[in-house]
Parts: sequence; structure tokens; C-alpha cells
Amino acid sequence: MTAVDAVAGRGDVRYARHVGGQAVIGLAWRQVRRGALIVTAIVAGMSAMVAGTYASTVGDALDTAALVALAENPAIRTLFGDPVALDDPGGFTVWRTGMVLGVLLSVWGLLTATRVTRGEEDAGRWDLLAAGRIPVASIVARHMAVLTGTIMAAGLATAVALLAAGTAVSGAVLHGACLALIGLYFAAVGTLTAQLFATRGAATGAAVALLGAALLARMIGDGVEALGWLRWLSPFGLAALVQPYAADRILPLTVLVATTAALAAAALVVAGRRDVRSGWLAPPVERAPRLWLLGSVPGFAARRLARPLLGWAAGVGAYYLLIGLLAVSMTKFLTDNSHFTNLAAQAGFAGLGSVEGYVAALFALLAIPVGIFASARIAVTATDEANRRLTLLYAQPVTRVRLLVADVAVTAMGAVLLAVNAGVLTWVGCAVVDAPLAFDAALAGAVNVLPVALLCLGAAVLALGWAPRAVALVGALPVAAGFVLNVLADSTGAPPWVGRLSPFRHLAPVPDLPPDWRAAAAMLATAATLAVLGAIGYRRRDLRG
Amino acid sequence: MNVVAAIRTAALTKHYGSVQALDGLDLTVPVGQVFGFLGPNGAGKSTTIRLLLGLARPTAGRAWIFDTDAADVAAAHRSLAHVPADVALWPALTGAEILELLGRVGPGVDRAYRGELVDRFAVDLSKPGRAYSTGNRQKLALIAAFATRAPLLVLDEPTSGLDPLMEREFQAAVAQARERGQTVFLSSHQLAEVEAVCDQVAILRAGRLVEVASVAQLRRLHRSQVEVTFTGPPPDLSKVAGVDVVQHVGPAQLRFTLTGPPAPALRALAEAEVEAVRINEPTLEEIFLNYYTQESR
Repeated sequence: MTAVDAVAGRGDVRYARHVGGQAVIGLAWRQVRRGALIVTAIVAGMSAMVAGTYASTVGDALDTAALVALAENPAIRTLFGDPVALDDPGGFTVWRTGMVLGVLLSVWGLLTATRVTRGEEDAGRWDLLAAGRIPVASIVARHMAVLTGTIMAAGLATAVALLAAGTAVSGAVLHGACLALIGLYFAAVGTLTAQLFATRGAATGAAVALLGAALLARMIGDGVEALGWLRWLSPFGLAALVQPYAADRILPLTVLVATTAALAAAALVVAGRRDVRSGWLAPPVERAPRLWLLGSVPGFAARRLARPLLGWAAGVGAYYLLIGLLAVSMTKFLTDNSHFTNLAAQAGFAGLGSVEGYVAALFALLAIPVGIFASARIAVTATDEANRRLTLLYAQPVTRVRLLVADVAVTAMGAVLLAVNAGVLTWVGCAVVDAPLAFDAALAGAVNVLPVALLCLGAAVLALGWAPRAVALVGALPVAAGFVLNVLADSTGAPPWVGRLSPFRHLAPVPDLPPDWRAAAAMLATAATLAVLGAIGYRRRDLRG
Repeated sequence: MNVVAAIRTAALTKHYGSVQALDGLDLTVPVGQVFGFLGPNGAGKSTTIRLLLGLARPTAGRAWIFDTDAADVAAAHRSLAHVPADVALWPALTGAEILELLGRVGPGVDRAYRGELVDRFAVDLSKPGRAYSTGNRQKLALIAAFATRAPLLVLDEPTSGLDPLMEREFQAAVAQARERGQTVFLSSHQLAEVEAVCDQVAILRAGRLVEVASVAQLRRLHRSQVEVTFTGPPPDLSKVAGVDVVQHVGPAQLRFTLTGPPAPALRALAEAEVEAVRINEPTLEEIFLNYYTQESR
């Protein structure tokens, strides 16, 4: 009789564990679903759009000679990847969108991975979870499984979209698989760093640094023939080596699958051998006080900003240094091949034949990281409020608006520094290769994008005041939606006013042309209005936490 | 005579959607008192404190801190220090850095006294915020609050994570604060602590104030159990003021409940040749359980 009882009891436990596991999966899904849907829509939608409009945008503009010239130019290969099958709508889509969408999926994958694992654990919400029947490694595994499922769905949606656009089956499947695997690779990296580091910031920072290194390895591997082997070390390089719609190679894909699986396995092994709320590389338990910038509200805001700003400046700066270094090679190529200059002009990048035109076109892109930076910083303020870290400050004789103004002012300063840093490093890169770019021209071009980035800051503050859960999303809208709108409005034949909604449409190509002061003033005024409206909401509403 | 109250609320009301978290609270906390704020979970204690601190906006009514509108945070917070119920610290700042920040942004700090408090509460200030336990986070916030010498301390369940030794230090610090003339507004579930330190107690239930009284008054308002053994004739207690529920436990033993002063009952007992008498005053816990459960329908 005892034996029967024992068996029954064990059965119950197993059942409960099964139910508990499902609950964890449900929890993970609730935390990723919104982002997953947005990312899937963007990745599949962009791919379908570019492939579907290939005939009308590119059509016969590309002859064989032009393709050879394109493929042989190291600068083109460095920035956009090896163009291998541009005569095919699918191949063109891979070249045109593959890198951007791969980066998008990987950034989302790693940010989400560190957020739902280390972020939740750091906030203390895993204490209860880990006290249940399910060990930490299984909790991590279930979160990873949900992320894997959503990213694979994005890849699948892309493949289906490309098939629907009428491209080749093998290419569509391989490209969808490559995109998904790049995303999975960095989701696994994020999960692994979340086990190694005890804080979300450190885990995200390490994963982003690896992403930067992987991009760099792909760029150098594509640009410099002797270092082509570097591509085998980077998921972006491996995806490029697969060459969907051209060679359709399987070996690089296999390597990508294997390294991703190895990273995921490593994350789970590490997760099983650590304490909850701790990592393998825990920060020192004791240290001497560092009292700088603790004396005032703005000072403290600056102190909190310093470290993330350095990380952003390093990443963005490295990219613009590379842009400068490639200036001569790119402009020479574009002057020699008028096909591409025309194509680029159609896509909104005119004047690429001169160094000034080239850097002006690439400075427009600078608005994206600077805008995302600004929005991310206000999102941190919202998180600190929700996690009650700000409560002790709110209890001081300091108004909310003063705390907000300090954060906004410091963030705006950070955005200026990011832009100036990018401008200076572009100039340095140009100077190294003797490209004719004046220092003040480089600086002007970089600073010119600030009104667009500040629109993001304004939108983020607006969200902080009225929809504090959606700060990051709303804050990123001006550059994310604006960029997509700018690219797509023309090629899809939308009415002209749709395109004009994009702030990028109002950005003068400085230093190629003089700045559009009126547009800049209008954008700054809009940003200020949004921020004031946000401050009003922030003053009136109840604080969270 | 027009004595300014440390805290005053008038018809303070807060709704969260259809939920009435606080319903027309009229409360006055006199200067210099240690004022206990009691109530079951969800009674509206934390909501009241959030409204007093300007963290949430009242649906109706107003609140004042020393005659300054509580919504005017920059002015009102110059005279108060706060310890939240669930202290969250900046994870990367050490204890020393957090004290420095709060000290310099706050309403001024007595550094010598702060050093003394750090010793008494035995906190290691070299650890980063993320490494502190719940109790240590609370101790840090308490040190920051007590060291400010602000005339009003608003403490929201400040000792829920403290061990008995630290609880004693807390009570000593509250007593010192009172000696210096500081007002302490203490929301707590630790009834022994409330009994030990509070001059007055307010009881909140379902968003409404049900009682404001001193602990001694509360006792008097409630029934004591009296047990009497006697050798003389059985006393007649039926018409004695305050006596209720008389039980004859044995031939020479009585048990009854008593509300209010015991003098009339003692007079009535005089002729019965009382051999032994035991009066059991209600514990604070019994009083509060009475309040919490009563009217719950």
C-alpha cells in the first residue's frame, strides 16, 4: 500500500512540474510577444516589399558590367556585404536588406534575452520562480525555447514572404534560415552573458560588444580578400557565405547551426551552476566609495549616463571611423559607375559621387543610433521609476519635473556628444586616407541630424508622461518608422504626404548642401512641444512602483 | 493658540479606477508625537503615505505637511524624511555613495549622528546596492532618514526586515527623535513596536479612519477580563457600571468583563472578602484584531 501511495505521489509531482513548466513558458511568451510580433512584421514585410518592388525599382538598370564593378569594390562589400545575385529579386533583397534585418533580429534577440532572464532576475522576480519546483537552468531553458520559437517564426515568415513574392524556393528557405539563425545566435549570446554577468547592463553590454565584433569581422572579411576567413567566425559572415539565391551553400549554414547550439548549451550549463541573483563574473562585493557627481540631481543624472554613453560612443564611433576610412574607395567607385549613383539617388541618397555627398548620406543614418540612444535613456528613467529606485529621490525636496529636466538635459547632451564624436571620427577616417573632407564640414554633417534624434527624445518624454510602459517603443518611432517610411514611400507609390511624414525627408544632406534651417527649427519646436506635453503628464500622473 | 500640525489631511480621497483606496481621510498628526498608523493589508496606509509624499495625486481632498500643501514637493519635503516600505537602491552605488547622494540632495544631514547610526545599525557601507539584503536596505534608508534631522519622519513599515537587535536600535532612534522634537509618522504591523514607541495610534480600515486614540485610551475603551476569588457572600455585580458577562466559575470564583475604570466594580467586590483578583488587560493585538474583524461585514 505504501508503494502504491509513493508512486501516486511521484506522479503528482511530475504532473505539477509539467504544469509549472508551462506556466514559465507562458510567462516568457507574455514578455516577448509584443516585440516578437513587431520584429516579425518588419523582417517579413521589408523582405517582401523589396523583393516585390524589384522590377519597378531596379529592373534593367543593372547590366553585367555594373554588377562586376559592384562586386569588385571592397568598400561596397564592406558596408553592404558581398553582392552576389543582384540580377535576381531574391538575391537583391538579400543584399539590400539582409544585413539590416540580421542586425535588427540579433539586437532584438540579445536585448530580449538579457531582459527576460537577467533583467527579471536582477529585479528580484525570479526569487519566487526559482523557489518553485523548476530549477534555474530549466527556467532559463524555457525562456530560451520561447525566444527560439519566436525568432524561428520570424525566419519562417520571411521565407514565406519571399516565396509569395515569387523568388526561388531554396534561396527563400536559406535566407529565412540565415536570418533566424543570426537572431538565435545572439539570443543565445544574450542568454549566456546573462548567466555570466550579475547585472543586466553588463550582460547586455558584453553581448552588444560581441555583436559589434561579429559585424566588424564580417565587414573586414568581405572587404579584404586576404582576411576572407574571418567570415567563418561571424554569424553575419557565415550567412553571407551561404549566398542564398546564388551558391546556396549548406556548409556555412551547418557551422552557424552548430555554433548557435553550442552557445545555447553553454548558457544552460552555466545557468545550472550558479546562484540565483548571481553570475560567474559577479562584480566585487566591496569597494571604496566614489563620490564624484553625487552632490546634485543633474550631477547624478550625468553620472548614471556616463558609462552607457561611453559604450554607445565606442560602437557608433567605430562605424563612422570605418565610413571615413572607406570614403575615397566608395566615392571613386560611385563616380566610375553612374548606374549605382542613379540607383542611390532613387533611394534618396543623391550626390554620392563626392566625399561630401557620401558622408552626408551616411550621416543621415546617424540619426537612428542617436535617436535610439535618447529614447533608451528615457526608458531607463521609466524602468527606475517602476522598480522604485527613484522613490528615495522623489522623497527629497526635488520636484519630479526637476528630476525629469535633469535626465532630459543630460540625455540631450549625450546625444550631442555622440553626434560630435561620430563627426570627428569620420573626419579622422577621411584624414587617414587623404579624403578631402574639412573638419567643420564633418562636424556640421553630424550635428545636422540632432533635430531628428531630439524628436525621439521628445517622443520618449511624451510617452513617459502619458504611457510610461511604452517609452522605448514610442521614443524609437520617429527614426524607426521615419526611416522605413522614407525608404518605402517612394517605391510603393504612396501619396507624397505619406513620405513627408518622415523626419528624414526634411533632413538636408549636410555637408553636401547647406542645412535646412527651417526644417531643423520645426523639428526642434516639435520635439520641445512633445517634451513639454510629456512633462505635463509626468507632473500630473501617479508615479509607478 | 494656533499650533501647526505636522501632518493634516482634509477629506483625502484616492480612487484607482473603481477601487476606493482611501475614502475621505481626515487626519491630524500633532507636532512632536510618535504617531502610529495601523490597519490591515490593503486598508490604504501606503496610499495615504504616497499621497502625503506627492507620489500619487489625490482624487479629492488635500494634505498638508506643516501647513505646506503636500503637492508642493520642493517645499514640503524640506521638512520631511521618508523610509519606503520596500526600499530599492541603485544597484551600482555603494551604501556610502547612496548616503552621500541622499544627504546632499536632501534637506540637510547631521554627519556625526549619521556616523553613529551607521555603527549602531551595523551596516557595511562598502557594498554595492544590489548586494544588500532586505533588512540592510531598510537599515540604510533608516540611517539616511534619521540623520536628516528633518522635523517629520514618515516611515512606512520600516522594521519589517529587521532582527530583534536592530528593532531595539530602531526604537531607541525613534525615542531620540522624539526627544529632539521630531514628529514620527509610523506605519507598522509590529504591534509591540507600536505599543512601545507610539503616543497616539490611528486605525485605518478599508480606506476609512476608524479610531484615533492613545494606546492607554484604546485599552480603556476595551474590555478587560477580571477573575475574582472570594470567601464572603457572592457579590451582586448586575448593576455595576462597566461590568458585563458575569460567569460563576466555581462556588467562590467569578469571572466578568470590565470596560472603563474599575473603581465601581472594586467597590461592589469589597463586601465579598476578596481573596485574589486578577485583571487581564487586552493586548494591543486583541484590540486591533477586534477592530480589523469588526465591521468587516
